[in-house]
Amino acid sequence: MIMFNHLRAVPVSGTALSLIAVAFTLALNSTAQAASCCGGGSASSLVLPKFSKAMIDVSMDYERYTGQWDNDGDWNAEASDLNQYRINLGYAHRLAPNWQASVTLPYVFNRNKYPTLERNTNGIGDGTVSVWYEAFEKITCVWDVKKLEDLIPAIYLGGTLTVPTGTSPYDDVSDNFDITGRGAYRLDASVLIDKTVYPWNLSVGASYGKYLERPVNKENGSYVEPYHKQLGDRFNTNISFGYTYFTDEMESITGTLAYAVLTEDEARIDGVIDTTSGFRKESISATIAWASENRDWIYKLTYNHSPTKDGMGANFATTDIITVGVSHVLR
Amino acid sequence: MSYVKNCRRLLFLALLLIGLSACDLQDDLLPSSSDERGTVVPGSIGHLPGQIAADFTIQDMYGNDFVLSDHLAGGSNPADVVVLYFTMWCPICLSHTDHMYSNVIPQFVGRGTVVYGLVDYVSGSVTATYAQAQANGYITPKFDILADVNQAVLNQFNGAMGITVVIDSDGTILMNEDYRTGEKLTRILDQQLP
Repeated sequence: MIMFNHLRAVPVSGTALSLIAVAFTLALNSTAQAASCCGGGSASSLVLPKFSKAMIDVSMDYERYTGQWDNDGDWNAEASDLNQYRINLGYAHRLAPNWQASVTLPYVFNRNKYPTLERNTNGIGDGTVSVWYEAFEKITCVWDVKKLEDLIPAIYLGGTLTVPTGTSPYDDVSDNFDITGRGAYRLDASVLIDKTVYPWNLSVGASYGKYLERPVNKENGSYVEPYHKQLGDRFNTNISFGYTYFTDEMESITGTLAYAVLTEDEARIDGVIDTTSGFRKESISATIAWASENRDWIYKLTYNHSPTKDGMGANFATTDIITVGVSHVLR
Repeated sequence: MSYVKNCRRLLFLALLLIGLSACDLQDDLLPSSSDERGTVVPGSIGHLPGQIAADFTIQDMYGNDFVLSDHLAGGSNPADVVVLYFTMWCPICLSHTDHMYSNVIPQFVGRGTVVYGLVDYVSGSVTATYAQAQANGYITPKFDILADVNQAVLNQFNGAMGITVVIDSDGTILMNEDYRTGEKLTRILDQQLP
């Protein structure tokens, strides 16, 4: 109990712990697309702890392609060795007491090995620029629920612009193995609700993304008759549940389990619905995060898994992703 | 304060990276709608629409030779149109070929002869191509499943995942682009078939 009382006196620390869950929930919003053929490489958004000035985040992803769901949701294993590595750089900055902005940029390494074909390519992935509004004035993490007010969660409302800085099939590429991005701007509106009653945490998030239509006059490096393409709208929902353990030195270790569903509607080509596009993907994740005593440094290890079962996705790849990252909070 | 300075440096570096990528990747950041296709010399050999497809021989998933010229006018097994689809058995590929199987092919049953070839350029052997076709439910007489073991056909047509090549009975390439909705393939078949 002494430990708990000590923490009560340092509310920012509580927010930093909550940040772990928030950041993890946001990470599930990332594109997380496997294999260069599908165009992966988006980094996730960042959220700054309340009352902090800035944050730097660096993480590395290793994503292994395990198979795919077909249009009917039937899963097939992948026989080849297809991998993607990403180094993600992120920076978040407080603009005002309730406003913050962040940028992320991944660098993508595609490692694809087929029996008689091996392609190793790399390049910048799609970057993001986000603005978040914190719809709460004070720390919402509590130790005991004594009154109704203690149940008020932290609510974040955000907007993210995905910038197609990656390499898409519509760039001057030699083939589909060079791809590191989707090739279109996307605007996402997100809401994130997070509540911590120590040592437990629950976060739910949702985002709706709309791709902007773009002209295309080139496919895989060859010029084609120009047309317009608009990728389908995206909807992402996720829920995470965490538990935090405090050491005698007041360092924290937080374990989080999460479940996410990502869908993308059918694309439109010259206004006509492309019935061969669109997808759905379910995934589960486990994260362990360690935060220093003053919560300025947070180290994270995440394992994300797409269940290799029929019906848990459609028209999309299944992957396993291991992420190792560190965040440094500047007060 | 040094932290803030470092952050600013990092932010500057990130913006610089975005700026550098913008120089290389204007196709995505500032996409163009202009028609940049060059002119082709009719009758020349090549991979572009309007050019003549060079003859090639590859094996199908049963180990039989598939010779393009056999399926052109004057060949041993002539067809009105040859369709080649480059597949790596990925979700997008299967979505396209499912659409071709269910929506395009049935429209032209009884109208001439069409060879629908799925060119597998990643499996690396005839047996592996057969295994992939079987795993994905493509053991069907409607498609010729072709094993492009050394990517020779892929390179000949500058192919990639989803690229669809349509060749008429004279060997002239009518289409060489992404399958997209299948609408263009349908339109060409409708024009070419009796």
